[in-house]
Amino acid sequence: MKSANDARRGNHPELAELALWASHDLPWPRRFRLKRHLDACAFCSQQAAQFCSAREAFRHDAQSQTLTGYEAIADWQRLEREMVGNIAVGVAAARCIDKVGRKRFRSWRGAFVGAGMAMLLALGWMMNIPREESEHLALSLRRIVGMNRSQPSGTILQSTPDGIAVRAQGATMTLLHPASAVVTVAGNASVGALYVDEDSGEVTITNVYGQ
Amino acid sequence: MGNRLRNLGAAFVLLIFGALQACNSAYAQDAPRWLSIEFPQDSPVLPVSSDLGPIVRQRGMSMVLGIHTSLMLRNTGSRTICGLTLRVEAPDLTPSGRGSVSVPSLMVRPGEVFPVRMDVEVRRPFDAKTEGPIIQISLDCVLFSDLTSYGPDRLNSRRALVVYELEARRDRRYLAGLVESQQWTQLRQELNFGLVDLTPPQLGFELLHGPQPVGRNEQAIPVGVVPFRGSPVQPMGGAAKLSGNEIRAPQVDVRNTSQKAVRNVEMGWILRDQRGRDFVAGSVATPVSLGPVQSGRLTEQGTLRFSQPGGQPVTIDAVMAFVNDVEYADGNFWIPSRRDIIEATSDPILRRALSTSPEQQRLAEVYRRRGMSGLEAELSKLK
Repeated sequence: MKSANDARRGNHPELAELALWASHDLPWPRRFRLKRHLDACAFCSQQAAQFCSAREAFRHDAQSQTLTGYEAIADWQRLEREMVGNIAVGVAAARCIDKVGRKRFRSWRGAFVGAGMAMLLALGWMMNIPREESEHLALSLRRIVGMNRSQPSGTILQSTPDGIAVRAQGATMTLLHPASAVVTVAGNASVGALYVDEDSGEVTITNVYGQ
Repeated sequence: MGNRLRNLGAAFVLLIFGALQACNSAYAQDAPRWLSIEFPQDSPVLPVSSDLGPIVRQRGMSMVLGIHTSLMLRNTGSRTICGLTLRVEAPDLTPSGRGSVSVPSLMVRPGEVFPVRMDVEVRRPFDAKTEGPIIQISLDCVLFSDLTSYGPDRLNSRRALVVYELEARRDRRYLAGLVESQQWTQLRQELNFGLVDLTPPQLGFELLHGPQPVGRNEQAIPVGVVPFRGSPVQPMGGAAKLSGNEIRAPQVDVRNTSQKAVRNVEMGWILRDQRGRDFVAGSVATPVSLGPVQSGRLTEQGTLRFSQPGGQPVTIDAVMAFVNDVEYADGNFWIPSRRDIIEATSDPILRRALSTSPEQQRLAEVYRRRGMSGLEAELSKLK
């Protein structure tokens, strides 16, 4: 159902269309047709003039007062300037943050590369340098800095997770055994390991001797 | 300049790598000369196969030669073999270091073939010079079922083989008695219910010889004793110097309570850590001349350092000693009976540790693989 106002408008343009015409927001073909209608229609021309005067009043108020969200609608150019300004501020801030992040990333990247190289070095050391040599180096370093008392020289018998070993004169002989082996001292200068051979089922006892 | 340095560095690395590979392949080609297996011509046991192709690899600036196989031996004599020890030597280590592989609890009849597992690795610097083989395997001692032996016995292995054989006979009799009396529950308990003990109580050892610096917190502690009622030699007490995870110069006073002269006493050592766990650390045979009803002191030289198998030090809280076996002057031996062990301690874990012999472990493996019928067959075969 149309209102009395709508019925009275007949072939006249809608008020929203007149408002858009007043703010120069209509596309030009429609604007051209509406202009022809306004020239011929006093009623619509009056309505459009009211829209124009109201828009001028809004613009005047907007220039003299702080722009609010509602008022900004009345001044698209100012709103555009503010929005562009805000965007510029945002972009500048983002660039600042971006530079800070890059610096951090660069420092982190350096730390990662350093840690990776250290890990690679440690892995290479563990895979290639025998444990005894590593221990010897560590003990030597400790001795140099005075953190450790001097170690005995001569023959050393020891058990390792893999077997029992005798070290002397820079060489090491290891008799390997499975993890289930029981390792014991087997004499005044001997360490032994006892296990059941999985293949033969026979008990095997290995010993290393040092003097 | 930088590129040039990089190129030089890469060339140097390639040169080193190539040199190491060349050494490696040269060692591999010369591998047969690295190993010698020597048995006397009149030996009652001879190798059937010597397929011990060594594995050579490099570790840092060292070379590692390894043998990982079973040496097949044949009893070429006329007597049953019940134990054997092979000597494993590396000229790089001798005269101070050597090794051995023993197989006790055997029952190899004349003509039979049996394996001896060899897992040996020798690590030596690349620049070490040795003429002749790197690893030498030779016969040290063969023990026959009548407890006579053959071999040079340079490692005093005959004594150990005899003790193993006596323990084996003791344990076979004990387990056969349980079978005959149908004490199945007790039998299964003795054999760990056929389960593999994947985490046996383990200690890591370092046995150090030569003059050792005295530890800052070294303290003298008494050595407790675990007496066996039937032992002809009774421990009276002792002392040791303890410093963290190191024990130095433990000594035990003993008395020969028998009417026979004693020439060797093997003392077993039990360690208790701070958590109250007992470990049988091993046993040490000490030559001692003890006349009837005579006292003496057994002193061990060197320093023992204990750790977890992974390397973490184990702090020792107490030390105990027991007489593992006694060798009389006439060559006979005494070993503790099962009753002696049962009466010695009420701690089931310690009792189990004291009574676990190589033969019991072998029979437990038989039970695990072949069940009760297999165990009965094995025990009846060994009667």
